[in-house]
Order: sequence, then C-alpha cells, then structure tokens
Amino acid sequence: MIILGIETSCDETAAAVIKVSRGKFFILSSIVSSQISIHKKFGGVVPELAARNHVKNILPVIGQALSKAKVNPSQIDKIAVASGPGLVTSLIVGVEAAKTLAYALKRPIADINHVNAHIYSNWLTNPAVAFPALALIVSGGHTELILMKSKTSFKKVGQTLDDAAGEAFDKAAQLLNIGYPGGPIISKLAKKGDPNAFKLPRPMISSPDFNFSFSGLKTALLYTIQKLPKPLTRQQVYDLSASFQHAIVETLISKTIKAAIRLNINTIILAGGVAANEPLRNGLKAAAEKIKKNFLMPNFDFCTDNAAMTAAAGYFAKAANWQKIKADPNLEIK
Amino acid sequence: MNMITKSTKETINLGKKLAKKLHGGEILALSGNLGAGKTTLIKGIAAGLGIKKIITSPTFVLMKVYKVKHKNIKKLVHIDCYRIKKPSDIIAIGATEYFGKKDTVTVIEWPEKIKKILPRQILKIKLEYKKNNQTRKIIYNI
Repeated sequence: MIILGIETSCDETAAAVIKVSRGKFFILSSIVSSQISIHKKFGGVVPELAARNHVKNILPVIGQALSKAKVNPSQIDKIAVASGPGLVTSLIVGVEAAKTLAYALKRPIADINHVNAHIYSNWLTNPAVAFPALALIVSGGHTELILMKSKTSFKKVGQTLDDAAGEAFDKAAQLLNIGYPGGPIISKLAKKGDPNAFKLPRPMISSPDFNFSFSGLKTALLYTIQKLPKPLTRQQVYDLSASFQHAIVETLISKTIKAAIRLNINTIILAGGVAANEPLRNGLKAAAEKIKKNFLMPNFDFCTDNAAMTAAAGYFAKAANWQKIKADPNLEIK
Repeated sequence: MNMITKSTKETINLGKKLAKKLHGGEILALSGNLGAGKTTLIKGIAAGLGIKKIITSPTFVLMKVYKVKHKNIKKLVHIDCYRIKKPSDIIAIGATEYFGKKDTVTVIEWPEKIKKILPRQILKIKLEYKKNNQTRKIIYNI
C-alpha cells in the first residue's frame, strides 16, 4: 500500500510518500519546507504569513515528494492529511489540497489528528511495541500524556494546565532575548551553563495527577532575571538557560515515569518537536531503563513536524468521506 | 473596581464572580505582564461559566473556542495576541468574527497589540503583580 501524507498544521509545509508492505513501513520520500527563517524575526509563527507560504509551497512540495519516491499519482492507494489541531489558516491549505487530490484521483482519504501522528513517528522504524504504552507528546502547542492500549486506542491521561513545554522554551528565550525557536537555542546555550546555578521551581512535580504546568516556571524565570543586574553576562544567560531547561526536563521525566509506574504500562514513547531535546531524550531513556520499561523515541529528523508520520497514522486510520473532512484547529484527543 | 488577590485560588474565585455578571456579547481585554495572572483569571471566568474543559494557553494557536452551557452564552473565545505583530493576523484566523456576538464572550490577552481593530465597547481588566509574588492587583469595570 502506498500512502501520501500531507501536513501543514503549523509552519512546515510537508508531504511524504510511504510504502507499507506486510505491516512494515518504508519511507519513500519525506519533504519538509520549513518557514522558520521567515518567522524568526517575529518570534513565532505568524498565521497570515504561514498561510501564504503554505499556498505557495504545497503543490511543489507534494510534487517533489512524489518524484523523489518515484511514484505516479495513480499509484497512490490512500491519502492522509493532518486536519488538526493547529493554526486554522495553515491547516486549511493542506486539508483542501488533500481533499482535492482524493477527489481527482478517486482515492480514500483519512483525516489525522496531528498529535496522534507525532506518536506514529515512532512506527517509521518498525519497532515491536509492547502495549499498553504511554506516550509523552511535547511540542510548541502540546504537552500531553496519552495512554495507548493498542495501536489505535488513545486516551489522554495528563496534559499541561496552561503553557506547553515548547511554548515555555519560546517564552523563556524571549525573556532572555536570545531568539526563536526557543527550544534549540536554549538547549545549545545550556551546554555551557550550570543547570543548578539558579533555583527554579518544578511545578506540580508532586501533584497526584499526571498533569503539568509551565506557566509558573516562566514567571519564576522572569522574577529571577528581574533581580539580576543588567545587562546579563553571557555566563548568566548560559546558566539561566541550563537551569530553565533542567527544570522542564526534570518535570517531564518525573511525571512520565510516575504515570508509567502507576498505569503499569510496558512501553514509554516520546514524541513531538521537543523530543529533539537531547537532555530529555537521554534522561527519559535512562529513567525508563531504570524502571525496566521499553523506550521508544523517533529519529531526530522525525521529531519536528513532518508528513511521514501523518502517512504512518494514515495506514491505521479509517478512510472518511472527503466532503466531511474539515480543518479543526481545536481537535482533541478524548 | 480594585481587587487584591493573594493566591491563585483567590484569582480564580474573582474570575468566577466576574463570570456571573456576563450576559453574552462582552469583550474582555486583559492587560498585564507575563505572569500577572491573566490565564488564571480566565480559568476562573471559564469555571464560572460552567466550562469543565481545562483552559490552556492559546499562545501557540492564538485562539481557542470553548462551548458553554448557559442561558444566553454559548461560546467562550480565548484569544492571545502575545506573538502578534500585526492586527491583520488576528483577522486572518477569523477571531474578529466573534467580537460582540450576542451568544459569545470573548476574552483577549495582550489586547494592546491589536488596539487598531478592537471595538470601542470593551471591558478592560488590568492585572499587576506586587513585590510579593503571590499578590495580584486586579482593576476592572464590569
């Protein structure tokens, strides 16, 4: 089965072709046209700009994905598109392109939840997954713990009560005046800093539920910066970055492990843009090993938004009537 | 009106009280720095309107829409202009279509970023934090 995946939920225009044969996934192509450089100067994704660039990019990106995969449109068996959650102006571009293709090619189309698709980025390397599994999805818009009893069952067991982890990184980077996107920059500067130099809170780390909160951490960072003489020295910026990153990573790991033990799961899965964060990757892996749970994380290239994960999700998803598929910016996992 | 709240819980309770005064069609503009308690107050307003869903930051998607079970109010629209550079971005995502709708309450964080397109009839709420991190001063006229 050959699946075309399309993904435009935020600032990346992405298309990918995957082949699934006897349940095994083969990535034939995965094209991601990122707009980060365009949005950099705004400190975040600008919806109007994003939409305009998606419109400009979507057809060339799909064309490139097909030609790189050496696949004719007529060979596509199924189309999968991320229909939400995300920025509505961005989502619409991918959704409408996918619907048009499905209608023109007379092929089944499946609408995909972008958050689920992140989890399926782990399936691209064909691991054997022992269920039940617990997935930690961390990105600019999400911080969620999802319990999976099977390949296609998703239940939200925890989430952030305010800011997403990636958003906290972005806001911290803005407070430190070091640029966008915050995660990779803070991570880089943190390497030269001392993670214990500044005392920052670990919000909700001992709350009985599996929820997170990062808004107070951002505020604590703000207070810490305000108390320091200006301008900050370079070393102070490194130390603040390291301390902030440490607080987020430690909180994410601690709550995920707690949930994994309490829910008695077999596999811990990491996914989402923040899954590219090295201390989180290494830390969660070590913590999972310590409690003897299997651990999965996507290859570095498939952490951030891509369409191969959307196509992988499309393999498991039921086809829908194209006329009923709509971009839904607030789409949720129940 | 001038209120001092001394904890997250008190800020949420104030939000609940404010919600009782809403009839639908209101636009609340919440000004205040990062960490001033805007999202917390909105959590209270949402709870006061009977919303059970968790109110999370809309910074990334800019706007979140919640269904409300209430006599007149059917929707709570939560808009965050923190990342916005131009008011046209807020128009692009369709947010302005909710402004002033009779069955909708719209709450806007960082309204000063979209001053040019804000309707004249808005209810301003200002939040400030005091030296003691837990204390907030909240000024409103609802």
